[in-house]
Amino acid sequence: MISCRASKDRMIEALYGELDRAEKERFDDHLRSCPECASEYSALGATLKLMDKRERPDPGPEFWDGYWDRLSRRMLWEATDEGRSPSLAARFVRVFSRLPRWSLQAAGAAALLLVGILIGSRLINPSGEGAGVETATVSAPSGAVAQAANYIERSKVLLLGLVNHDPATEDAYAFDLGGKKAMSRELAAQAPAIRGALNERGQKRLRDLVSDLEIIMMQIANLESGQDVEGVELIKQGVDRRGIFLKIDLDRMGRDARGAVDPASATGETKLPRKNKI
Amino acid sequence: MDENALIEGLARSDPRAFRELVERYKKKVFYLALDMAGNPIDAEDISQEVFLKVYRSFATFKRGAKIGSWLYRVTYNASIDHLRRKGAAPEPVGDEVLEARGREAAGLPRGGAMDPAAAVESSQLQARITRALEKVSPQEKAVFLLRHYDDLMLKDIAATLGLSIGSVKSYLFRAVRKLQKELGGPAAISGVEASHD
Repeated sequence: MISCRASKDRMIEALYGELDRAEKERFDDHLRSCPECASEYSALGATLKLMDKRERPDPGPEFWDGYWDRLSRRMLWEATDEGRSPSLAARFVRVFSRLPRWSLQAAGAAALLLVGILIGSRLINPSGEGAGVETATVSAPSGAVAQAANYIERSKVLLLGLVNHDPATEDAYAFDLGGKKAMSRELAAQAPAIRGALNERGQKRLRDLVSDLEIIMMQIANLESGQDVEGVELIKQGVDRRGIFLKIDLDRMGRDARGAVDPASATGETKLPRKNKI
Repeated sequence: MDENALIEGLARSDPRAFRELVERYKKKVFYLALDMAGNPIDAEDISQEVFLKVYRSFATFKRGAKIGSWLYRVTYNASIDHLRRKGAAPEPVGDEVLEARGREAAGLPRGGAMDPAAAVESSQLQARITRALEKVSPQEKAVFLLRHYDDLMLKDIAATLGLSIGSVKSYLFRAVRKLQKELGGPAAISGVEASHD
């Protein structure tokens, strides 16, 4: 005969049929002589019977049929993110985080001194003549840069149309996903040549931006036919996560500062995204 | 493709083996994640993380182990991480939503047109069960789900989750006791026979 404590210790195994025959006989003997343990065993058994009635909602065949596509899209995104070299900002932060505090303080003091000298020289000689400060030469954009700028602006227009679309409030037919897919296929096909032409030093960031856009164009081109709301949402999230619009704006500001030709300036400003968070 | 061929394929980074793994285990992984996280959007996210992890780090899989058990373990860990990031417990869901989910789970139309009384009873039961499971801790819930719905033996659960048999029994006992308490005890469990095995 086993004790109540030993009975409780075996109760779970008994409920799930995991006691061997001898153990089960001893356990049953105890229950016959102990109404309290028998009652508890009975109550737990009834609970498990009730839990058998639990049903889990089935997301449906469309969910399961599209599971692999959604997973492979995410793998593509994450593979490209991992394969990319760290951004300039990330490298900057990493390098500075390794430096000792005194070196940062010394660098800060030197920077303040330099700013003071520059302001002083401007105050003494406002025209700048003979101040010894060289003015930057404005270089004309190369053909490859202009081509890339044009590519970026066309991609931006396409992306704005995509991220500003709200399926809850707008007409699905006016959205024209088919047209966007065709245009993105064309843009994705043009990207390798543009990237290849951006081979000069200092064009890495521009090349990376074209690469980012190329991947997004491939994603759009591979959306399911019909509306593919889920796919569009994934692309919106990817654009948001990777700060694509910010990168485009920074690139444009950089080109404007260098006096580059802005292909969008002839047609006016492009509309900004309606939502801050896509 | 049998399990050994699948493991060999995965070790060679064969894309067909990976696709086979996903197709074979996507439902088990998704449903464990769904039970742990409480909503299908998070469950899909967790399940994708699980397969991405398998894809990236299959080298950490110990030869001789069962691939299903390993996937359960990765899913359990990913779900626990997810719950920690979100603040431990799944967001509470209203009764109406639970009953609507219950109707869907029971395969009944949203309006309950087939048999109104049965539809209401069934959806209320599903809502009660869901509520009861919310009261169980993630560890207790994982052990209960693997034993009760995936039919893993206690020793297999211990190996899968990296726990001792004693801990598994303890978690499971506590889970069933909590469920019993939440579901109202034997008097409230009408029409259910007492004996289980």
